[in-house]
Amino acid sequence: MIDSTSFGPDGRPLIEEAPAPAVKIAVRNLDFYYQGYHALKNISLDIEDKKVTAIIGPSGCGKSTLLRIFNRIYAIYPGLEAKGEVVLDGENILDPAYSVNRLRSKVGMVFQKPVPFPMTIFENVAYGIRHHERLSRGDLADRVEQALRGAALWDEVKDKLKQSALGLSGGQQQRLCIARGIALKPEVLLLDEPTSALDPIATGRIEQLVEELKSQYTIIIVTHNMQQAARCSDRTAFMYMGELIELDKTDKIFTKPGKKQTEDYITGRFG
Amino acid sequence: MSGNGMDHIIKSYDDELARLTGEIIRMGELSISQLEAAIDVVERRDERAARHVVSSDEAIDQLEQEISRDVVRLLALRAPMAGDLRNVFAALRIAADIERIGDYGANVAKRSIPLTMVAPIEATSGLSHLAKLAAVAVRDVLLAYRERDADKAYAVWKNDVQLDEAYTGYFRQLLTYMMEDPRNITPCTHLLFMAKNIERIGDHATNIAESIWYQVHGEPLVKQRKKRDETASPDLSGLL
Repeated sequence: MIDSTSFGPDGRPLIEEAPAPAVKIAVRNLDFYYQGYHALKNISLDIEDKKVTAIIGPSGCGKSTLLRIFNRIYAIYPGLEAKGEVVLDGENILDPAYSVNRLRSKVGMVFQKPVPFPMTIFENVAYGIRHHERLSRGDLADRVEQALRGAALWDEVKDKLKQSALGLSGGQQQRLCIARGIALKPEVLLLDEPTSALDPIATGRIEQLVEELKSQYTIIIVTHNMQQAARCSDRTAFMYMGELIELDKTDKIFTKPGKKQTEDYITGRFG
Repeated sequence: MSGNGMDHIIKSYDDELARLTGEIIRMGELSISQLEAAIDVVERRDERAARHVVSSDEAIDQLEQEISRDVVRLLALRAPMAGDLRNVFAALRIAADIERIGDYGANVAKRSIPLTMVAPIEATSGLSHLAKLAAVAVRDVLLAYRERDADKAYAVWKNDVQLDEAYTGYFRQLLTYMMEDPRNITPCTHLLFMAKNIERIGDHATNIAESIWYQVHGEPLVKQRKKRDETASPDLSGLL
């Protein structure tokens, strides 16, 4: 419904330009080295808020490295160095003063291979919450349920919360890891090849979940599966040999990419 | 035929895309032969040959079905992306346009049969001129497709105005004949339909040009072109 203020003096409707999308993470001139190897070269890009950004590229292009910088997981290994800025909500997360604890509560991560803790399904989700917050038993149970529902796993596990998580199928384990990730109410969710170990049905469930989660979270997904990037992302970044070649709307990347290198990669012409 | 100078890692994918292009070219060449044959039977007043042209349209229809099957198979098995996707998409559209061109050629041949049953009239000769313009358009647009040359395709698109103008002129000429002598009405009415069919062939050639432009540039062809078929104007007296 257009209200009267949407019309110009000549009576014609004013066409309002869509507001610029909010930027959740701004990467500026990021370089990354490990043991002298220049793994990421002067990367600058914006990750839009509450959108799914896919990062694609051949093995070794730096896509997983970039993802791991977003929650500073690289910091657990020695000899790694990141230069430049990664600004999350106005603060540079590479600044040593930015606490890793705080960062990890804002930025959750799910890995390629589901890694449930060897404990019950309930405890897998509750573990992280307890680490960050003190909640009553009832509130904790609510939070666990909420996270499991959010990860579309609740109906399948509600009657066996006290059973070991290791008894779940691969797809269920991966959704449990997503539940664990979202239990901390992060703002950003990093998914590193989340379905590469899953069958097509479990993959479909995860992709559906990504679609549902993006209304609440900013999601960055690294994938080797181009169809997956095409199916579930809003924007796609193509990386090659440590450089960002192109980042654009997903439909543009897969119908008319701007760079020949992107075209060659996504059409299967990479030599 | 990769279209961007580099082969696919999977060679059979290249073969399938090349096969698709070959089928389109073959279909296009058949449609030109059909149009030329149709005009030939009009000029020679050869009823038997006309029936042969009509039945030959079947070959074009079959090729279109083959192309549709190939496109569906490519989409399902290769999941083409970017330039490949545009290539496959354009092929499907172009095949549909060529199929229509074939139909129009067959229609012209079909209408030549009742024309053989009345005395020859002079106005028939004007149809060949139209048909030649249409055949040039189809031939040029096929060349543009074979060479993935968007500029050549654009030239065809732009030149369609000539065919439209020639059609309008012919329309006017036929009206004059009909007004001069009511006995001309039957043959001229057939000729009007045939001329309209040929004019439509030009429109399909421009559709193909648009598909080529999209295939090459990834954007629709949006340029202004004057529409010169004025025969649908409510004020027919303006044409006389």
